[in-house]
Amino acid sequence: MIDGGAGMIVAQWPLALATLLFAAGLWLLLPRGGRSGRQAGTGLVAAGLALLTLLVHFGLTFYRNGPSPQWKFAGPLLGSWAEDVVFLALAALTVGSAVCTVTFRSPVYCAIWFALTLLGVGGLFMYQGSQFLGVATVVVYAGAILVTFLFVLMLAQPEGHAFYDRVSWEAALSAFAGAVMVGVLTMALSQAMQPSQVAEGQPTPRFWLETDQPVDRAAGVLNPEHVASLGGRLFSTHLIAIEVAGTLLLVALVGAVAIVSSTRRLDHPARSVGGRAHG
Amino acid sequence: MGEVQLLHNYLVVGALLFGIGLVGLLARRNMIVMFLCAEMMLQGVSLSLVAWGRYHNNFDGQVLVIVILTVAACEAATALALVLMLYHHTDRLDIADWQSLREANQPAFIDEELPADIHPKPEWPELTPAGREAPLSPEKQDELRHRLHV
Repeated sequence: MIDGGAGMIVAQWPLALATLLFAAGLWLLLPRGGRSGRQAGTGLVAAGLALLTLLVHFGLTFYRNGPSPQWKFAGPLLGSWAEDVVFLALAALTVGSAVCTVTFRSPVYCAIWFALTLLGVGGLFMYQGSQFLGVATVVVYAGAILVTFLFVLMLAQPEGHAFYDRVSWEAALSAFAGAVMVGVLTMALSQAMQPSQVAEGQPTPRFWLETDQPVDRAAGVLNPEHVASLGGRLFSTHLIAIEVAGTLLLVALVGAVAIVSSTRRLDHPARSVGGRAHG
Repeated sequence: MGEVQLLHNYLVVGALLFGIGLVGLLARRNMIVMFLCAEMMLQGVSLSLVAWGRYHNNFDGQVLVIVILTVAACEAATALALVLMLYHHTDRLDIADWQSLREANQPAFIDEELPADIHPKPEWPELTPAGREAPLSPEKQDELRHRLHV
């Protein structure tokens, strides 16, 4: 973070550039019929992610203080270099396999890459100190939900690659929508992280929880008895939420059985036409 | 360790996961891949919730993520049951088969050109049967027919 004085204007265009590069690469990577832009797409995605890492993780900032534009490099910000390396590896694993999930043609490969995304997210949870969630994500998501997905895929997958796996709806528009989403979020975040331009001597209201006294996380979320404290919180303050979640599981179970066991069959036009969809 | 920077990094990773999932949900046509992308958006939200919980030094974010896990499991159960039913109607996982659910006065989507399959179906050689086929007893024929249907 920069200790900027009044009148410092931080440029937002590098973030926009990074997200646009990323989205252009995603557009090239998405299945678009026979056209392939794999290498260019991979390069653009990697360039966008690298620029985003420089801007967010390493604190590279372009700003205008007076007439001439300047830039500043803050270096890795999390702590020791080991913490940075671990975080960057986990984040790269998560985001890279997420890109592969979206762009691979074969749905089975998509599911496998999504499992790798889940492992990365579990690692990121662990990095935050929430061990229970890291394990629960791997067990519940990768172990149960994803296997169910794979089960249905094996049941329903036709031989070879189906044509609808080789084309996308409006790949360019979708990638642009994602770029707008990510760009707006990251720009709002970076503005919230910058020092505000209030007059000197006033407390800075730029961020939500900027308290003077240090927070003792070792007694809170980083408690050595992690699961015990989480369970105590879960079954005291949030007891109703747990009851509602259990009821929801029961309702979903009954609903799934009701959906599958209904034997009424519709005559859908796509079946008789022989493979082509007409509205 | 810079807690604010940690929060910032996690929120950006969560935003990236959410955005990638959004792109996949909008662009892909396979229903199961669409559901995978929806789950990925949930993961992005979970990441930011855990980061906020750590920043504010309480467990509420993690509790909310547990609820999200439950809802995701319920969603997967019902969604996969639905996908199976839809698959039984058309024998395909293509979401475009269900475009009759679109708004009124919207033109129908028709695939203009279907891309050629990169991996065409292999043509296996066939062996010509040699010798004379022995006649089968009726019980044997019944058994073979039964096996074919099992």
